[in-house]
Amino acid sequence: MPLDLQSKTYDVADDFEANELFQKNGWTDGLPIVAPTDDRVRRFLDAVRLGPGALVGTEPVRRRRITAEKVAIAAVMAGCLPSFMPVVTAIVTAMCRPEYSLHGSNASTGGAAPFVVVNGPIRLALGMNATHNALANASRANATIGRTIRLLIINVLGGVPGQLDRSTLGHPGKFTYCVAEDEEDSPWPSLAAERGVPAGASAVTVLGCGAPHQLMNEWTHDPKEILDTYAAVMRANMLTYSIWPGNYFVVIPKQHRQIFAAAGWTKRDIRDYVHETARVTRGQWRTVGKAAVAGRSDEARVYPALRVPEDLLVVAAGGPAGGFGAVIPPWYGTKGQAQTAQIGA
Amino acid sequence: MLRVLDPRQFAEGEPVVMAPPLAKLEGAVVGLLDNAKIGTAKFYDHLEAVLKSHGVREVVRRRKPDSSRPAPEPMMGELSAADAVVSGIGD
Repeated sequence: MPLDLQSKTYDVADDFEANELFQKNGWTDGLPIVAPTDDRVRRFLDAVRLGPGALVGTEPVRRRRITAEKVAIAAVMAGCLPSFMPVVTAIVTAMCRPEYSLHGSNASTGGAAPFVVVNGPIRLALGMNATHNALANASRANATIGRTIRLLIINVLGGVPGQLDRSTLGHPGKFTYCVAEDEEDSPWPSLAAERGVPAGASAVTVLGCGAPHQLMNEWTHDPKEILDTYAAVMRANMLTYSIWPGNYFVVIPKQHRQIFAAAGWTKRDIRDYVHETARVTRGQWRTVGKAAVAGRSDEARVYPALRVPEDLLVVAAGGPAGGFGAVIPPWYGTKGQAQTAQIGA
Repeated sequence: MLRVLDPRQFAEGEPVVMAPPLAKLEGAVVGLLDNAKIGTAKFYDHLEAVLKSHGVREVVRRRKPDSSRPAPEPMMGELSAADAVVSGIGD
């Protein structure tokens, strides 16, 4: 006999009216939802063999218990398939670690969104996209897994804009912000492998992040010059947004990866070079209109974007052509730190 | 007909209620927890003066080391002896 679901229920005429009910009550991100019915939610719970009351995670500041039932409801609403559930539950697990700062990053005026990188065989099983349009729309799994996290934040953690979500601007990644790494076409170990996940296992890595900043350099084959462009974006972020060091993602598409591969550069080489070059001095704040704070202490002081090279998270993803790349900056220095969780562990 | 499930943690909305007011401010000890945002100290200077003008005996001020994380347990302990605590949120 399956356990009863605990959520309050509402009777509506059909799926159209279900969406109208959720829209009217502010239970969505503004996009239409799939109606979470008892049988649909049960199918999602069965996919991860969890009872409705099973605890997937607890938000550590307000001690909000995130149960499997609410996770499954959000996943149905977002348009997931049941097979996406193990990825979603792993993301929740990772975000509930205190170092992630789930409450702080959700509530902050800074307007961050959880940026998710998926690694391992589950990417292929779920049809996740890692190539063309890697940071945007291309795959149901990328889109709906990321959206599930937003719906959970809204409905379970109270992250409603103007209520607990105090974002001044936010960014489009708050609808969904989930990529897969292009492991099959990468010269490097995956992000998860570098972060200690065993070979053959799947994993998620999550960090509260600002919007991606796209860069372009297709006029050199020198790996240092390519990275000088990435580092310039990071320096700009440090000066115009937040000077504090922390985890930064760099998303490197194939055209740039080929330059690094030809030169024999590993992810570690990339991290070491960026660690040395993505630095600013306090005095440079004067060049971006922040003279008022530049002079408060030693203007010659050097601020690095990364505390250590390992703060840089290198992800191989993107379409095969184009000398582009992206930097994805952290919400606010080390206040939120990237978390990796193995899927199904 | 379709029966759908409530996606929220609490079907009755967020359980946010006002703390009961003190019977009187005269002789009370009031804690002011600064959330380490830029304008809080100045605001609390003003609030402290207002509270003392209403007979508050002592104002205990503490500043969180980090605006984005909870106050450390020892700081919460220091404030727990107060009759009331004001916790600053937001900017």
